[in-house]
Amino acid sequence: MNRRRMFLRMVTASLLRRRSRMLVALLSIAIGATILSGLITIYYDVPRQMGAQFRGYGANMILLPGDGGELTIEAAQDAMSVIEREQLIGASPYRYVRLDMVSRQQSFMAAGVDFEQVRRTSPYFNVEGRYPENDREVLVGKFIADTIGVRLNGVMELTYQPAAESPSEGLREGGFAPGEVLSGGAEGWNGGRVYVSVKIDGDGFIESVEVDASSQTPEIGGACETEDFTSRFIGKKLPVALGVDVDAITGATVTSAAVVEAVNNASASAAVAGSKTINYTVSGILDTGGDEEGYVFLSLDGMAALAGGSGSLDVMELSVSAAQDELERYASIINEGGAVAARLVKRVTRSETAVLSRLQALVFLVTAVVLLLTTICVSTTMMAVISESRKEIGLRKALGASDGGIRSEFIGEALLLGILGGASGALMGFAFAQLVSVNVFGSSITFQPMLLPVAVLVSMAVTCVSCLLPIKRAVAIDPALVLKGE
Amino acid sequence: MSLLELRNISKLYGDLKALDDVSLSVERGEWIAIMGPSGSGKSTLMNIIGCMDKPTMGEALMDGVDIAKENRKKLTEIRRDKIGLVFQQFHMINYLTAVENVMVAQYYHSMPDEAEALEALERVGLRERAKHLPSQLSGGEQQRVCVARALINHPEIILADEPTGNLDEANEKIALDLFSQLHKEGTTLIVVTHDPEVADVAQRIIVLDHGRIARVARGASVAGA
Ligand SMILES: Nc1ncnc2c1ncn2[C@@H]1O[C@H](COP(=O)(O)OP(=O)(O)OP(=O)(O)O)[C@@H](O)[C@H]1O
Ligand SMILES: [Mg+2]
Repeated sequence: MNRRRMFLRMVTASLLRRRSRMLVALLSIAIGATILSGLITIYYDVPRQMGAQFRGYGANMILLPGDGGELTIEAAQDAMSVIEREQLIGASPYRYVRLDMVSRQQSFMAAGVDFEQVRRTSPYFNVEGRYPENDREVLVGKFIADTIGVRLNGVMELTYQPAAESPSEGLREGGFAPGEVLSGGAEGWNGGRVYVSVKIDGDGFIESVEVDASSQTPEIGGACETEDFTSRFIGKKLPVALGVDVDAITGATVTSAAVVEAVNNASASAAVAGSKTINYTVSGILDTGGDEEGYVFLSLDGMAALAGGSGSLDVMELSVSAAQDELERYASIINEGGAVAARLVKRVTRSETAVLSRLQALVFLVTAVVLLLTTICVSTTMMAVISESRKEIGLRKALGASDGGIRSEFIGEALLLGILGGASGALMGFAFAQLVSVNVFGSSITFQPMLLPVAVLVSMAVTCVSCLLPIKRAVAIDPALVLKGE
Repeated sequence: MSLLELRNISKLYGDLKALDDVSLSVERGEWIAIMGPSGSGKSTLMNIIGCMDKPTMGEALMDGVDIAKENRKKLTEIRRDKIGLVFQQFHMINYLTAVENVMVAQYYHSMPDEAEALEALERVGLRERAKHLPSQLSGGEQQRVCVARALINHPEIILADEPTGNLDEANEKIALDLFSQLHKEGTTLIVVTHDPEVADVAQRIIVLDHGRIARVARGASVAGA
């Protein structure tokens, strides 16, 4: 047996012998290491977790047209490629177009979006109903819905007029394209709206009319949907007059009048060259308490169908899970390119940074306090161990142990305690962090292998520091006391 | 030159003179018994010879080195190299086995050697108890382990403070036989005892009283020879 093995034997035997005392020391180190490693795990994981939480408050970076004056989807995607894949929570394109609802003489901004991405960048959107699922459905801001009086699942006839002139009454000058279909609506019985699709030939004669009178009393106004009624429009020239061109259905004069008005509205909305009207179904009403309530949202394709053009955006909203300095770095890289301008949404990034730095300061403080408490506890235990084993220490000295020998034996015990306590603490700490993460953030974390050596090293350092004073005591013990008949 | 030469040493604890002007010379291979009433300074003397304490006054030459003038570190070295200790209270490290207790002395001296440690236990008749803990050994057996531990590094002097004080007659006899053997091999023995029979085996009996040498006698075995 060599010296090192004998040393280990003595150290481990000594630890085992004082099991209860050492368990106390071990426990306090393990608890210290648990809290330490738990906090470290949370410390490193929280920015990610918090980032995800903060991402719930909306985009923190926006891309705007750069020097080129135009922001294409390709250019935006190109710019976004500098951002790490996993950091990019969502990228939501926006294209703004002014649309009219001719029948209500209202005009408002509509946003062409990708609803899939909107959900990611704006998780706080509160939708009554549901998000649009196809190009003929729209999401209407609550403010607009209230002012215009559209309801969930109702129809909205939206008109796009490229010249941005106000819709004029009467027929369009340039005539109609053969087979062009116009849409329109008008108020019928008891406030319910009826909608029509009117197909006309190049000279403005009606080829066919389709009526949606589902808001009317089925047995009465519903008759206006029948061919008996719609056929009365065929061959008539716009605008049509009730009682002159078309006779009302007996008993359903209100609905009949509404259909005639809707047909005329359809022609009116088509009065400006290049303008176009499409009927959309309101799939959801958006309630955010913010500016978004003043917009109508539809899919980019839905908007392209109405307003033409595609691939050109006004803004791209990005939700990036990164700290402020990293965001700033990304923004400056993107801005260097020049094609696209990146801006940070300061309100969001600032509050995120403030909360994180406060949290991290708290983690440091708690860690320091825990390490201090651990040191005190281990130190006290070691002190007790040494005063209990004064005789034995005296004996070792009488047998020829030098001060250094006594010192190294206690340091050896301390290191062993540190290794055991640190390793078990690291594992418990991970479990603890996992528990916190699952309960507080609702997501699990991955074990950082670096944690084990860090926790063990810190524990070893703590136990060594804790033993400084007790070892000083041990070294001062007089070997002569072994001859005293106690 | 004598192995040990004490010249007018005194040890004061405040006003109390635990040792008062003691002079004593011990030759190599000599067997000396120290007697005296309780509090007469026997252990104090042993502590000084064992390099665990320093005299307040006087010279204590061990192989010509004055241990009164050396520092703690040097004293530890002298003790480790020259002295084997046997105590009245056995003093074993009670979480180590018998053989490990012997090896502790080797460890501090030079290099643990289990075979040699087992040999030493063989010598005190405890070879087969090597793996037992002190709690599994009787008092006499523990004392024999302590003797094995004291002789393992081949010390020049074995100091024994009341080695038989806690032993029954049978064990006392075993211990004394071991001492006789060591004596025959040329080891210097200094044994503190209250027991005249134990003292009589020695060649010289020093009787202390109030820190002074009251009387020096020849041991019965020598006297009888
Ligand atoms: N550290 C000390 N401080 C003060 N007085 C001490 C100390 N050590 C010993 N003494 C005193 O010195 C005197 C001699 O003590 P010592 O232990 O040498 O006696 P002894 O002969 O070994 O007695 P015993 O037979 O009871 O073991 C005693 O009066 C004792 O009280
Ligand atoms: Mg004594």
